[in-house]
Amino acid sequence: MGRRVTRQEFLLMSAGAGFVLAGCGGGPEENPAVQQQAGAGSGKQYNGPKVKLSFWNGFTGGDGDYMLRMVKQFSSQEKNIDVTMNTIQWPDYYQKVPAAVSSGEGPDVGIMHIDTVATNAARQVILPLDDVANALNLKKSDFFPVVWDAGIYNGHRYGIPLDVHPYALFYNKDVMEKGGLDPDKPPQTKDEYMAALDQLKDKGIQGFWVPSVAPDVTWLFETLLYQNGGELYNDAVTEATWNSDAGVDALTWMVDLIKEGYSPKNVGALAEQVAFQNNKNAFYWSGIWNILTFRDAGVNFGAGPLPQIGSEKGAWANSHNFVIMNKQDQDPNKIAASKFFISWVSRNSAEWAKAGQVPARNSVRESSAFQSLEPQSKIAQELPYVRFPPSVPGIDAVVPAALDPATNEAVLLKKDPEAALDEAASQAKQILKENRQKYQA
Amino acid sequence: MEDTVSVEPKASRRDPAQLVRLILSYGVLILLTAVFVAPLLWMLSTSFKTQVEATQLPPTWIPEHFTTGAYSKIFSTGKSQTPVLRWFLNSMIAASAHTALVLVTASMAAYALARINFIGRKLLFAVIVTTLFIPQFVFLMPNYLIVDMFGWLDTLLAVIVPGAAGAFGVFFLRQFFLSMPQELEEAALVDGANRFQIFLRIILPLSKAPLATLAVLSFLTNWNDFLWPVYVLFSPESLTLPPGLSSMQEAYQTDYQIIMAGGVVASIPVLLVYIFAQKYVIRGASRSGLKG
Amino acid sequence: MATQNVRRTEVQTSTRKILGVGGRKPTDASLLTPYLFMAPYLVLFGVFILVPGFYGIWISLHNWDYLLPGKPWVGLQNYVDLFTPGSVTFEPFWQSMDATGKFTLYSVPLLVVVPLLVALVLNQEFRGRNFFRTVYFAPYVLGVAVIGILWRYLLDANVGLVNYYLGQLGLPDNIPWTNELPWAWVALVGPTVWWTLGFNTVIYLAGLQDIDPALYDAAKVDGANRWRRFLHVTLPGLRPILLFVITVTILLSANVFGQPYIITNGDPGDETRSAIMYIAEEGLKNFNMGSAAAMSYVLALFLAVISVANFALFRYRGD
Repeated sequence: MGRRVTRQEFLLMSAGAGFVLAGCGGGPEENPAVQQQAGAGSGKQYNGPKVKLSFWNGFTGGDGDYMLRMVKQFSSQEKNIDVTMNTIQWPDYYQKVPAAVSSGEGPDVGIMHIDTVATNAARQVILPLDDVANALNLKKSDFFPVVWDAGIYNGHRYGIPLDVHPYALFYNKDVMEKGGLDPDKPPQTKDEYMAALDQLKDKGIQGFWVPSVAPDVTWLFETLLYQNGGELYNDAVTEATWNSDAGVDALTWMVDLIKEGYSPKNVGALAEQVAFQNNKNAFYWSGIWNILTFRDAGVNFGAGPLPQIGSEKGAWANSHNFVIMNKQDQDPNKIAASKFFISWVSRNSAEWAKAGQVPARNSVRESSAFQSLEPQSKIAQELPYVRFPPSVPGIDAVVPAALDPATNEAVLLKKDPEAALDEAASQAKQILKENRQKYQA
Repeated sequence: MEDTVSVEPKASRRDPAQLVRLILSYGVLILLTAVFVAPLLWMLSTSFKTQVEATQLPPTWIPEHFTTGAYSKIFSTGKSQTPVLRWFLNSMIAASAHTALVLVTASMAAYALARINFIGRKLLFAVIVTTLFIPQFVFLMPNYLIVDMFGWLDTLLAVIVPGAAGAFGVFFLRQFFLSMPQELEEAALVDGANRFQIFLRIILPLSKAPLATLAVLSFLTNWNDFLWPVYVLFSPESLTLPPGLSSMQEAYQTDYQIIMAGGVVASIPVLLVYIFAQKYVIRGASRSGLKG
Repeated sequence: MATQNVRRTEVQTSTRKILGVGGRKPTDASLLTPYLFMAPYLVLFGVFILVPGFYGIWISLHNWDYLLPGKPWVGLQNYVDLFTPGSVTFEPFWQSMDATGKFTLYSVPLLVVVPLLVALVLNQEFRGRNFFRTVYFAPYVLGVAVIGILWRYLLDANVGLVNYYLGQLGLPDNIPWTNELPWAWVALVGPTVWWTLGFNTVIYLAGLQDIDPALYDAAKVDGANRWRRFLHVTLPGLRPILLFVITVTILLSANVFGQPYIITNGDPGDETRSAIMYIAEEGLKNFNMGSAAAMSYVLALFLAVISVANFALFRYRGD
């Protein structure tokens, strides 16, 4: 070699040597350069000094208890890493975390929903995690493809998926019996569903309450949109396409349910959930996480894949992803510890599934521990047909700003579905354009 | 101020209409007192209950199972999401520092504006007074960015310093200084004292009452500030009591006994200040009306 | 003249004692002195009031997300959007203005009239008057956060005291105070009145006591009864106070944030989301600071117009 070895190459070689030495029991503590590199790069183990990690998430419900248990278990196993968990409601979380991190405070590691990852990456709130994925040998084949791809922004991976939480059908067995339906045979096709609703209606029961308040009303709409073969956005993400026929049909079906008396009007915020708990309706479409809610409330319920109302199967879903925060003056040991923490939780996510989640990792999903979990394992069958929004910064603001008011007004019978969706689409176009300008500079 | 101006002398006119009116009035006043005191007593009582008792009906005004569990929960020293003691400390530090800052800067500025004739005095005063009429929220966005620029976000500095820029203190003290007789200062000037000495040794000692009023008002305003701290403080350990209480409501949902315990902790210092400095608080409130 | 001179000498002696000076020649008052006095305050004032005043306008002319490097210039677009039906911010902004307007409409009359009545009652009793005044004012020192969490609990549909006692009185006992209309307005206005009544009462009391008793005596001599005395002596005497109370109450109501944030969280949906709540959400949660800044200027303009109208109304009535 005629030229001088560059510093990078030197470090890489030391790292390589370090890995070898560490495996041989030589101990990285003896070689400071190696310790640094191993600390920063590897997620397989943590050999650094004692660190404290601050872990923030939005698990304010019963699922928080499960995560806390895992965190405590981790901290007691790993003597060198002390993780403290802080839970804030998700809306406040997305306000506080970017602001805190950008001013050098806030958490070290956190959870973010898949549709916010691009936004926070563009805002430089979170770090790219390509090397984590590599070090942990995580490949697309280890995860559910849709969820794996959605964590990429600008060619880099920013999120390590923990779970997928799709919409599922919850059915109240007591009410079904009262309506003369078989409580173990929930409807799975449009015909079955409408027949069930008719039968309930004859018995004076409004079987399915259509939510009117966001986000539930919009999530229901999106599910039906997908089932009708529609999409939220076009491929270039320059326009919203929810006002296609698929969308108009979906929203019209929701409105007709109300008009025809299968659902009451003006269902208040989460009133459909309370009604389900109080045995007033039979069917409730909602996120898989509500398994815990209803178990705690003692409802006699079952849960499973959604009925197929449209021409295809489809379900709204979101996914919790691990992210590492981009704080100034980071301690490389903290980053290393964060990566190790993430990989530990990911490997042990069967425990997390008990909180009413579907693990994103294939091996965990296929494990007997998860397969024996009812009804999560049944709902996991929906994974092939869930959809996420495109990984474009600012995308998480479009639906709340444009689509939520539209679905709300349509369901409140204040606006015609097609008109509402058209107006929402034109607003979305505007926001998408502003986002492109804003995030490009 | 304690004068009873339009009082009907009781002794001389004991006619029945008078008596009835008296009884009715007392009745109304006592009823009102109950309306104001009962909820606070309820907050106190609930803070000593178990979760079950706090959410059961019929309600019990005196806890059947008296417990300090709520308090031990919020005072627990382990790392918590709702470190109430820490919030208490933060509020104390912030309100005290803020008050000190206000007293120092406002008194000096008010003195100059009231007593020293200098170029630009009229203009400065006009500008300052005009800002009294501009609502606070107009400054919300830009001040957030400025505070971020200084690196004060999520620190107590963000809740101590910006609020001290308000014009009320300057205005209030200037009014008072204007009303002071000038002879003392003139004499001192003739004697060769400089302005600083006059300010420190003559003006301030004579201004104890308005300074105390301003101090109490500033302390209370800062202690109770809600909108601004909610948006500039993030981490659990950095919060002051008001945003902390709000986060307790989210964190504890139906554990009302814990939420109420937090409310009690937040209320006690201000109620103490109020009871002991009541006349300053009330005087400050009523003065602000009279000047208008 | 002589007495003044004597006084001056006495004063001089005492000042000498206080200052410990004596016999020096008059110091040249430094020209810098007043500016040095003003400086600390002016620094604060400049940084946190003057600069933001202009900076805010600058921000409102951009699509400003402070976490992003690019903040594209949009000119007056943020303002135009607020007045263009169909734009993204039009509906939520005016909805929040509507909520603030409703809150102000419902609360101001109560907050102006009821404290006056209480002050009138208090003004005539002289036994324990201070005790009552102290009690009624107390809630005001507690701050909106305590008030909010306390009343959120009291108004809880299932376990709150209010519903329980309503039930005891034979009225419906399951009113959803905090998340349905029209009850949500009661849940906001009620606690606000409870909180602020004492404050306004104290102001009225001070004003009542400033009214010259001779006026009342004269009116009595003229044969005026209590009602006429109220109309012709009390009310006119209270005019400046009334103006103050009405103006301040309107402004404070328009600024409402804590009560809807803690008690109803804007529910149902966004019906009780006040203008300030929406502005703070837009700017500091969604990081659309330009748009939020524009909204705050529009709201401030509204308030300015209302204040001026208020003043004008009162001055007109005065003549």
